[in-house]
Amino acid sequence: MKDIKTIELDQGGGGEKSSQLISLIRKNLKVKSRWKNTDDDAAVFDLAYFPEAKKREKLLFTTDGFIVDPVFFPGGDIGKIAMCGTINDLCVMGARPLGISLSLIVEEGFPENDLLKIIRSINQVSRETGVPIVTGDTKVTEKGKLDRIEITTAGVGLAEKIIANNGARIGDAIIVSGNLGEHAVALLSQRFNYQTRIKSDCQPLIQEIGSVLPYLSAAKDPTRGGLSAILNEMADKARVKFVLAEKNLPFCRETAALSELLGIDKFAFPSEGRFIATVSKKNAAKVLNRLRKFNPSAKIIGRVEKGRGVFLETNLSVLKRIEVPRGKLIPRIC
Amino acid sequence: MCLAIPGKIIKFNQGQTAIADFNGIRKEINISLVQAKIGDYVVVHAGFAIEKTDEKSAREAYEFMEKQ
Amino acid sequence: MTTKTRQITKQIFAKAETVGRPLKFMELCGTHSRSIARHGIKQILPSNITLVTGPGCPVCVTDQEDIDIIVGLAANKIPVAVYGDTVNVPGTVSSLEKERRRGADVNIVYDTTQALVLAKVKPGLVFFGLGFETTAPMTAWAIKNGLIAYSAHKLFPPAMAALLAHKAIKIDGFINPGHVSAIIGTKVYEQFKVPQVIAGFSGLDVLKAIDMLLSQIIARNPKVENEYGRVVKPEGNGAARDLIAEVFRITDARWRGLGVIAASGLKIKKKYREQDAEFVHHDLIGKIKSKIKIKPSACRCGEILQGLIEPRACPLFGKACTPDTPYGACMVSVEGACHIEMTAKLLFDIMPKSNFKRPLKSTGI
Repeated sequence: MKDIKTIELDQGGGGEKSSQLISLIRKNLKVKSRWKNTDDDAAVFDLAYFPEAKKREKLLFTTDGFIVDPVFFPGGDIGKIAMCGTINDLCVMGARPLGISLSLIVEEGFPENDLLKIIRSINQVSRETGVPIVTGDTKVTEKGKLDRIEITTAGVGLAEKIIANNGARIGDAIIVSGNLGEHAVALLSQRFNYQTRIKSDCQPLIQEIGSVLPYLSAAKDPTRGGLSAILNEMADKARVKFVLAEKNLPFCRETAALSELLGIDKFAFPSEGRFIATVSKKNAAKVLNRLRKFNPSAKIIGRVEKGRGVFLETNLSVLKRIEVPRGKLIPRIC
Repeated sequence: MCLAIPGKIIKFNQGQTAIADFNGIRKEINISLVQAKIGDYVVVHAGFAIEKTDEKSAREAYEFMEKQ
Repeated sequence: MTTKTRQITKQIFAKAETVGRPLKFMELCGTHSRSIARHGIKQILPSNITLVTGPGCPVCVTDQEDIDIIVGLAANKIPVAVYGDTVNVPGTVSSLEKERRRGADVNIVYDTTQALVLAKVKPGLVFFGLGFETTAPMTAWAIKNGLIAYSAHKLFPPAMAALLAHKAIKIDGFINPGHVSAIIGTKVYEQFKVPQVIAGFSGLDVLKAIDMLLSQIIARNPKVENEYGRVVKPEGNGAARDLIAEVFRITDARWRGLGVIAASGLKIKKKYREQDAEFVHHDLIGKIKSKIKIKPSACRCGEILQGLIEPRACPLFGKACTPDTPYGACMVSVEGACHIEMTAKLLFDIMPKSNFKRPLKSTGI
């Protein structure tokens, strides 16, 4: 039996072996950027580099932890989701991401090749988006004290105009950038032994949001909690009512089928590469056309009205309330 | 307990199992309670096919699922 | 609203007006209760038709003693496998979820095949067999393949007989279960001289069934009709019934709320006693049973399961008893009347055109 190289406890100790592991990781994260001191305690970015920066730009800062199970899934892995998660959190606020920090905690015995695969995934997102990893940390715990690997990313970005989550206005259209829940489908099908062509929807949203940024009154990405959690948050914060049309539900047939098969509400299925936005009626068609160039399943799913709450108009013409999901949802999905 | 979903028999496996396709999602199911052939539609409950149904009803069930 | 739906609803209104008096229809299957809530059926029916939830929720009707036994087995370090909702049902002193947090080996499975696979790595695993004739065959199959099970399975028709014999509630018609019927067929229901329609699960299926019940009432001709013919055949599934008969024997059984119903339970035959948890863990189960002290409680699940009262009438509903902090089985299970009532908040929006003079009832949300 081939001897698989695994991560040793020593490599998290801060000594020689740690330095070697960090060198190995850094060798695989090569994206040029203006950040300096990236091997220091904190990385440095000189704001003088932005001659075009208008005085009113704001600095945004976000962080996320990732414990997804399984670590490798159709359409991505924990590295990809860690990068996209933090990049997207900045993008849906209207920011352009400047740099990401990467903290890894690895269980002793985790195969080195798997770790490198994950690092390369991170690097790939970094290359595609131009967003660099500028600082990081690596620790190793004893076997059994952690399940394989955990990643925490933090990110900073700059934005001229913030798209808050409370900006929805009466009369706006509610638009999604594509069919939802496919990240959940990819993971759940692995866990419960179903086969499907569906891959995780995990992807960075920089270009998509960038193409329609000025027209968005509010935006959020439906990760944990899925569509129902996000819509309730947006409607609640803006003090408006959202009404969705049953014939425009943004789920592909496989997502609907898996939801029924498992008895888990698809409205709670997270996506990791989609966003939901409210757009004024006059700009809705323009936004939709631009988004459809990235994803043909982008669609208008409902409208913003006076009142409170989130509702679905059923095929029996009854308004049914969509509630914030409660209870034990899907564990370890991101 | 979820609704029983109709699935199309795609292939028979060893023993008493078959692969069924539920509107694009495939899973191995137990076929010991129903006499079915490839292409038949069956209603599956708790991992077992319990009865045969027809294609039209299956399509209607899938449409109904997609609109909820 | 589609034309078909509009048409059926108009028919229902017209027929309800012809009948005139208040009518109570009981849906017998937990999945029907969920469908009714999901589609807002109650909101578009005429005010003289009341839909009552019957004892069709498999988790809800499982007796307290059965829950205490499976919880007790788990607490005594025996690995157990159960269907989803069961983990949160409160037993007399604990629940499977509570025991799981204390380190008990509690496994949620979607089917008995999964349980069998688990049993290979966790020898001695006990599967909690609950549910009616739809899930009993799966348990039987697994028992034949070596799975150890504790059977709390029940037969449906005896419960219907008990409901009809009850003096306190008068049911004008039943919406019969869909998948139980796929197993037992349609003839077995003919013993009940009450309008019955076996229905499918879409909103339209349920409305059609209500329309058919009304026609039977108007014609004064109670019978068993099958709206779900695309799945339910009159002869049912013989192979499944044979499997049940091979592995199980019929006994009296206690149902939560309904009390003991004769010949309504399934226990594992002696031939398969090595697979019967009640035999394998006979002494332990005896000990667990002796410790059970049923405490008086304000929980009115029992009456709710018989359709005698609405969930609202229970003093705990929505206060001490919520889906996050359930007190009784009817709130735990997604098919329980209380859970459905609390989570399926519907707001009535569009009314179908009708010339029914009586005002539509308030939505009561």
